[in-house]
Amino acid sequence: MRFGAHFRLLVTGLLLSFAVAFAAPGSAQQVNPTADAVKEQQFLDALKGNPSAELQGRITIPDQKAATLERPAGREWREFHQGTMLRIGAIAVLGTLIALLAFYLIRGRVRTEAGPAGRTLTRFNAFERFMHWLTAACFIVLALSGLNVTFGKLVLLPLIGPQAFTNLSVAAKWAHNYLAWPFMVGIALMFVVWIKDNIPNMIDLRWFAAGGGIVGKEHPPARRFNGGQKVVFWSVVLGGAALSVSGFYLLFPFYAGGVLNLQFWNVVHGIVSVLMVALILGHIYIGSIGMEGAFDAMGSGEVDLNWARTHHSLWVEEEMSKGHVGGGPRLQPAE
Amino acid sequence: MARMKFLCDADRCIECNACVTACKNENEVPWGINRRRVVTINDGKPGERSISMACMHCTDAPCAAVCPVDCFYTTADAVVLHSKDLCIGCGYCFYACPFGAPQYPKVGNFGSRGKMDKCTYCSGGPEVDLSPVEFQKYGSNRLAEGKLPLCAEMCSTKSLLAGDGEIIAQIYKERVVKRGYGSGAWGWQTAYKETIAI
Amino acid sequence: MLIKRKTADVQRGRLQTAIAGLSSGVMDRRAFLRRSGLVAGGIAAAGALQIGSVRKAEAAGLGPATGTKIIKNICTHCSVGCTVKAEVANGVWVGQEPAWESPINRGSHCAKGASVRELVHGDRRIKYPMKLVDGQWQRISWDVAINEIGDKMNEIRAKSGADSVYLLGSAKFSNEGAYLFRKFAAFWGTNNVDHQARICHSTTVAGVANTWGYGAMTNSYNDIRNSKTILFMGSNAAEAHPVSMQHILVGKEQNRANVIVFDPRLTRTAAHATDYIRIRSGTDIAVIWGMMWHIFKNGWEDKDFQAARVYGMDDVRKEVEKYDPKTVEDITGVPEAQMKRAAETFAKVKPATFIWCMGVTQHSVGTANVRAICNLLLATGNVGGMGNGANIFRGHCNVQGATDFGLDIANLPCYYGLVEGAWRHWARVWDVPYDYFVTRFDEVPAKGGRPARTRKANMETSGHTSTRWFDAANLPTEQVDQKDNLKAMFVMGHGGNTIPRMPDAVKGLEKLELLVVADPHPTNFVSLGGRKNGTYLLPIGTQFECSGSRTCSNRSVQWGEKIVEPIFEAASDYFVIYKLAQKLGFADPMHKNFEMIQGKYGPEPSAESILREINKGGWSTGYTGQSPERLKLHMEHQDKFDLVSLRGAVGSPVENDFYGLPWPCWGTPELKHPGTHILYNTSLAANNGGGTFRPRFGLTRERTLADGSKVNDTLLAENGSYSLNSEIKDGYPEFTMGVLKKLGWDADLTPKELETITWIGGNAIDAVNWANDLSGGIQRVALAHGCVPYGNGKARANAWNLPDPVPTHREPIYSPRVDLVAKWPARPDERTLRIPNLHTSVQKAAVEKGIAKSFPIILTSGRLVEYEGGGEETRSNRWLAELQQDMFVEINPADATARGIRDGAFVWVSGPENNSKARVKALVTERVGKGVAFMPFHFGGFYQGQDQRGNYPKGTDPIVLGESVNVVTTYGYDPVTAMHEGKVTLCQIAAA
Repeated sequence: MRFGAHFRLLVTGLLLSFAVAFAAPGSAQQVNPTADAVKEQQFLDALKGNPSAELQGRITIPDQKAATLERPAGREWREFHQGTMLRIGAIAVLGTLIALLAFYLIRGRVRTEAGPAGRTLTRFNAFERFMHWLTAACFIVLALSGLNVTFGKLVLLPLIGPQAFTNLSVAAKWAHNYLAWPFMVGIALMFVVWIKDNIPNMIDLRWFAAGGGIVGKEHPPARRFNGGQKVVFWSVVLGGAALSVSGFYLLFPFYAGGVLNLQFWNVVHGIVSVLMVALILGHIYIGSIGMEGAFDAMGSGEVDLNWARTHHSLWVEEEMSKGHVGGGPRLQPAE
Repeated sequence: MARMKFLCDADRCIECNACVTACKNENEVPWGINRRRVVTINDGKPGERSISMACMHCTDAPCAAVCPVDCFYTTADAVVLHSKDLCIGCGYCFYACPFGAPQYPKVGNFGSRGKMDKCTYCSGGPEVDLSPVEFQKYGSNRLAEGKLPLCAEMCSTKSLLAGDGEIIAQIYKERVVKRGYGSGAWGWQTAYKETIAI
Repeated sequence: MLIKRKTADVQRGRLQTAIAGLSSGVMDRRAFLRRSGLVAGGIAAAGALQIGSVRKAEAAGLGPATGTKIIKNICTHCSVGCTVKAEVANGVWVGQEPAWESPINRGSHCAKGASVRELVHGDRRIKYPMKLVDGQWQRISWDVAINEIGDKMNEIRAKSGADSVYLLGSAKFSNEGAYLFRKFAAFWGTNNVDHQARICHSTTVAGVANTWGYGAMTNSYNDIRNSKTILFMGSNAAEAHPVSMQHILVGKEQNRANVIVFDPRLTRTAAHATDYIRIRSGTDIAVIWGMMWHIFKNGWEDKDFQAARVYGMDDVRKEVEKYDPKTVEDITGVPEAQMKRAAETFAKVKPATFIWCMGVTQHSVGTANVRAICNLLLATGNVGGMGNGANIFRGHCNVQGATDFGLDIANLPCYYGLVEGAWRHWARVWDVPYDYFVTRFDEVPAKGGRPARTRKANMETSGHTSTRWFDAANLPTEQVDQKDNLKAMFVMGHGGNTIPRMPDAVKGLEKLELLVVADPHPTNFVSLGGRKNGTYLLPIGTQFECSGSRTCSNRSVQWGEKIVEPIFEAASDYFVIYKLAQKLGFADPMHKNFEMIQGKYGPEPSAESILREINKGGWSTGYTGQSPERLKLHMEHQDKFDLVSLRGAVGSPVENDFYGLPWPCWGTPELKHPGTHILYNTSLAANNGGGTFRPRFGLTRERTLADGSKVNDTLLAENGSYSLNSEIKDGYPEFTMGVLKKLGWDADLTPKELETITWIGGNAIDAVNWANDLSGGIQRVALAHGCVPYGNGKARANAWNLPDPVPTHREPIYSPRVDLVAKWPARPDERTLRIPNLHTSVQKAAVEKGIAKSFPIILTSGRLVEYEGGGEETRSNRWLAELQQDMFVEINPADATARGIRDGAFVWVSGPENNSKARVKALVTERVGKGVAFMPFHFGGFYQGQDQRGNYPKGTDPIVLGESVNVVTTYGYDPVTAMHEGKVTLCQIAAA
């Protein structure tokens, strides 16, 4: 798969460039530059063993990118972008949507068995919610504007016509370029604030063993974040980091060190982002219509005690032991 | 209709850069944008060869394929052009281009890209032929005047050939037969998936 | 070989085909460009409002398209002479089209030629006259400038003499401008007038003229298409003369010709060679003699040619015996086998041509180098025919013409020399009494042990060379052989960074009381040093902004038509020279034969009328047949000339003419001489472009035989060598009235011709000759009898009047091979051209100081294709400047590694004199051999690491600045022409 070629690059982490190797003329008798002239065929032959080869020369203008005479590797990237990327994207996004729909139809909304307790406890404070929604809002715009790059011309362009589509795409591009920064800030904050609750442990294994409670009736115990949430956390943090790094190079191409690197970062950016879109779709589902009471955690920040007991029994115990569980209309903790 | 191509006979090219300044002159290309350039392979070694390179106006052009906004089109003369009105400066064509043809003016924040600019084969763009706005956006439209790109027309040694692919291939073939050597039709395999059999 | 397509084929088929019909009423491209011309003018005007740009803007702003005019001119860069075809609308140069019809460039250009339109955009041009007042540039008017400059010149003249004002002219002048400037010097009363030929091919001119008569390229670029062996030595045509490579590469391909390149660098030209031979810089004579050693030994020479047309080859044979293959390899580094192959190819695969440039000429043995090459050509019979010859590629667009018209310290126009006869000839042409000129020259007092010189003697003494102008300012007065030191420089179109020893030039600049730089761009003269006062900048139009003829390297004369009016407040050369002459009081006698036309700022002489005066007097060089009308006819019918033979097509208005009437074009224009495509070509009749070697050095030469007895060898051609259809089937001397009488041909003269001859000759009518007969009668009659006016002589293998009559290898002044200096030393110290030339002292001092150890790298220099000369003009052109943004030094990877130098990093290049150093970028490449470094010579504006951008008047600084190579180059001057040794010195390189 072409995609594989790009991952070889990732593994080696090298910019494989190629200059036609030239053996000094063997004969001291005669230097015949005409007969010894470098031939394009030498490059084309070398290309067979190394499709990422570039033909480099010397150029006097400062733009050293221009010193690359030929880079057929663009073909591979093109096939990735027009083939693999489309397929992965389509499968990831549409597949997830279909799966969620199916799940919803089969399983329906996950209810809190015991019904509302009437007592709530604080799951996320205002700062945490700000941080989450900042990241979330950015992500949604970034995702849509990003998907537009790959799918827009197939989906939107025929609908709204070239000029409108370009206007939209330009706006999307600017939005993407600018919102990338608060998104990165959000990711960084989430990492710092939530990492202590997201260290994987044995409880997570049991949680996964029980299928997270979504399948079946019994809810496995969990602390503040259950195994699934930890997966989301780490995916977002690591994926966000990958998107940030790759996005940085795409935004500042002069630091990337060549077009082959840019192609590589583009591949990383594309694949990671569609995978993240798929993941976040699931996250949105479960945090909204998928589960009763879940939205409150990021909505008001207050969750019903019974919901908490169901999904985060160990956390509730910890919180209660600290006296953090409020009653009725919740009072501000006296801190 | 003709199938326009470029062919640089590297055994004639002396890296004089006439093609580069002719392009600047004809199209008023600003500093920092190099629609055409001359690259020297094996510089300073016996057997060095210089090749003038610009957009090759590929068959099944990769730039056009990857463009997220479909701003490229191919003319009846097989010249690959694009619309600066539609271009969003995303840089994808530069990733895909095997010849490094697309150029971007630096504009705005983060040194990000303006609208892509590249060799038009001196045939303007999707504006009215020979209109001021066409010149402003894309440069001259010599093809509409029945002339070929100025880079090739002014080439000091007639190394850079422009014109119908079959005819320039024939010229090149005759040269190679006559002189007994030829370092190849640089880029043809990559751009046109064909080469000139001698 | 491009296929031009019909408009109809390509009109349609666009995305916008559907709306293409709407295009009526839309401004077309020309109109648009005109409008953009308005914008350009507007920008320029915003910077500094002045007449030029305002007028340009107005012109550009005129209503709808009224049609574009096509105007043809000639590229102002190298000497190939490419036709530039300009599209002009309402006085604005809006586009450049390929001039397919020119037989010289066939539409082609190099980077420079393809960008010349930018010259009249003029972003960085000098916009108005300026003077330096306490270090600040002040705008002044033309009148004030001319007045102040003239007053100062007169003041210096009164105090120090006319010779204290140096008149430095330009190889960019038109022929008419060059001629006018030389005439100006004659009226001012000095021979201190020079131009770029000094630093380019002065040694060629001296060497070649002393061999066979004329100092010029013998064949043409086009003729190289006929060659079977093409040998380059010290020429990088691919970068210096790119369009010539069109003819050369086609010749190479079609004839499967051998291309042999001797060079210390594997140049872009060498990349297209079939045989590249690396030599050590400064060993050219040993290389040539090394080849000739094989040629003589193996009998590959052309003995018949030698017997009939060459004098003194045996003397060469004797010298060449010393250069056995081992000795030659030791000196030059070329192995025997390579040398032998090159020699055999050159001698046997004929016709063979020898192409050389600055790599040969810029040496302290430059003239001898050239002489050695001439001998190779003579020995192998490779001169005077199709496809062979000495193809000397000259450097600037009109360096040939400027040389021809005597922008030279030792000549009046057309190589008449400075003798009384020459002065009297030109005095007659100018219609000014000879005695007037005598009074204009200085009397030189006795000093330094030298006797005094009368005005007349001074008038006949060669001037100072431009290569050493600062020595004339810096040396103790005693050592300078003229009334006083140099006090003023009047520089028109000449860079300040093109000659070695810039630290000394800086000192010289400080000594000057007056410095005038008249140029389209401020040259390095302006930025160099720390002058605060007494400096004037005059804006001059380029040759695209005035009309006139220019002579390309192959001696073809091409007429260039003014494309646009001089931009901003620039004026033409003609105007400036006229105005200054007017201020100095001799404009009227100087311009009496000229038609005065209304120029931009008032009357100025018309180029046509100046050319007519040239035609009236240029008999010696055959500059008499090229009337403005004939030249214009050639430009109009460029397409009628054959690409290879340059002959005008039968039935066309230029039938039988050679393109551009390459000189000599004998007789009056009415005689319709076709010009001379190939010099000394005996296979054509004299009146049809044929020729013979010119007997300039007597008719016989005495020789002492081994037994002490003496014989006289003839210097006239023998063995039935004469040009086709000659009625004299033997050698013959130059034609004089006396000779005509002896032959009985004087009866062919018309009464009118005879009257003129009698007027010129007075009592000694027999002495009137082909070169000073203003009637042209003597030439006409000689030609009518199939004879060449200058005679039919032998070329000289031994030029007994030169310092080294038979060249001998001499180590460069700064030689890396200390061990060879003792055996092959430089010439003894001597006084040449008004000052001492200390070859031996400097060479010895270098050896004693161990310079070769502390400066172990050979430094050579040369051109880049994007720039030219001192480079201010081209470095100000944004289309060119973008392509070469940094000064650099090429250094071999081995030397770079040993010094810890990375490609692209800054290094210090230091030279052996004055603790000089230059900060430049390293370009690590195998192009140069180990122990060799190369630097281009076009940069300026940095000095020893200091940025001098602030020294240029605001807005006129070139886009790209850089160190000049000449900061680190060194002493060394040819004994004949004082050509500098720019191609070989020593340096050290260290990471910065």
